Amino acid sequence: MQNYTVFVPRLVPKKEPFAPGHRACIGCGEALAVRLACKAFPPNTIVANATGCMEVISSQYPMTAWRVPWIHVLFENTAAIASGIEAALKAMARKGLRPDDGTKVVAMGGDGGTSDIGLQALSGALERGHDLLYICFDNEAYMNTGIQRSSATPFGASTTTSPSGIKSIGQKTWKKNMAAIAAAHDIPYVATASHSYPHDLMAKVAKGIAVPGPAYIHILSVCPTGWRSAPDLSIRLGRLAVETGVFPLYEIEDGEYKMSLELPKLRPVEDYLNLQGRFRHLSEDTIKEIQERVVAEYERIKEKTG
Amino acid sequence: MKGEASMVTLTIDGRTVQAEEGAMVLDVATENGIFIPTLCAHESVTPYGACRLCLVEVKTANGRERLVTSCLYPVEEGLEVTTDSEKIIRNRQTIIDLLLARCPESTVIQDMARKLGVEESSYPLEDHGNCILCALCVRACQEVVGVSAISLVNRGVEREMAIPFFDDSTACIACGSCSYICPTNAISMEDSDGIRTIRMPNNVTEFEMVPCKVCGNYWMPQKQVEYISKTTGIEPEFFDTCTNCRD
Repeated sequence: MQNYTVFVPRLVPKKEPFAPGHRACIGCGEALAVRLACKAFPPNTIVANATGCMEVISSQYPMTAWRVPWIHVLFENTAAIASGIEAALKAMARKGLRPDDGTKVVAMGGDGGTSDIGLQALSGALERGHDLLYICFDNEAYMNTGIQRSSATPFGASTTTSPSGIKSIGQKTWKKNMAAIAAAHDIPYVATASHSYPHDLMAKVAKGIAVPGPAYIHILSVCPTGWRSAPDLSIRLGRLAVETGVFPLYEIEDGEYKMSLELPKLRPVEDYLNLQGRFRHLSEDTIKEIQERVVAEYERIKEKTG
Repeated sequence: MKGEASMVTLTIDGRTVQAEEGAMVLDVATENGIFIPTLCAHESVTPYGACRLCLVEVKTANGRERLVTSCLYPVEEGLEVTTDSEKIIRNRQTIIDLLLARCPESTVIQDMARKLGVEESSYPLEDHGNCILCALCVRACQEVVGVSAISLVNRGVEREMAIPFFDDSTACIACGSCSYICPTNAISMEDSDGIRTIRMPNNVTEFEMVPCKVCGNYWMPQKQVEYISKTTGIEPEFFDTCTNCRD
């Protein structure tokens, strides 16, 4: 990944398909990730958006933040609806009802809508080989309903349904590896991204849309409300998640792993955990356990890049 | 201010559209969902008309007809624009054919050629790397960055993009804007082991990076630190710690 800074931000597209003025919390990383992803869309793109934070904050009746054709769908059928749209576009072009103008379809969901509720529809869409991009904006819990745990919640995080206390360390299970699940469908493109690396995120979204066939992008989105972190630290937390190895950035193109960011050495996970209230209760032993697991996982991915 | 600019009415491919006076035909067409191919247009820099792919036929209100590059042609009242006539398609095919002969290895040119209906170049193939001399890098370096570290030199068939005397990178601040904006990936930028390498078609320049005092990661080129402290007055010591390690 190129470390583009200073003047390069002035060269990114100026159009804002995801308009400002929506009702996301202060410091919302997910709204930023959606905004960046939308900038990378080609001119004709249809978005199917699962229930979740992004739908709630962007579309209070009678207003909308979307300047692209956008449909709000249920948690469980985002990928199914997106496949339907894609199939309909193809059928209409075949019957001559509509020119084949290269309209693209993007499905979006949160971690709950992707790794819990919408998983079977997503698996179906990936397996059927529809030409669409599925983006998961992962803020690691059901934030919009009040921070309930999901299968993407990391080990040790305190949420309202996995509270920390005398008998509990918070979330007892490890985060589900959605990128690996998507890659197991043998689709042409899978990637992980972070809003703290904006040029990388935009490049990956553009690539995901351009490849023929299904593509999946998993974006870690910092949530100050649910992570109990300071809103001004959202960008830093996104970078620390990558630099500590908690959320490595990589691409899987036709089964080939490629690291997006070469890290000479990983930072200690404390740098990342200490900034968040949801990990405040963790004992030194638990942090050590997390550290070992993070390094092992990171090494495993690195080995695959070969 | 928006809304106060006077509007003109024109037709593009038979469709009547309204546009602000002074807007270019290419931008108006793209805004209205009409596809015109282009490689050298970018909203952040002034139009230049280098790649010639955005050719369209125009007929003015006085009845004058001609072929123009739409990125450089401002809209006017009563203008009739055609973007997909036989003549335009043929012209575009010749242009992309020539570009394909110049840069046969470029995947961007290959994709564009396929899109315009050219599978193989009918001219003898040359090897000029991926550079199509569109000057996007030069324009970005001059207008956006403001250091003018690169320019197009020589004329005709010898024209190329270069730093002064092919080896003086004094003015360059290693920001990578040229690499980012290049439509055909002819310029690359890579950081490794404290060295940033910017590869241009005829030159490779290495820049030293500054390590962070706290975490030790290399995070910014030395040239940029000097440039920013010179232009803003911020002490160079401010850049000793990276953005992740600051309080």
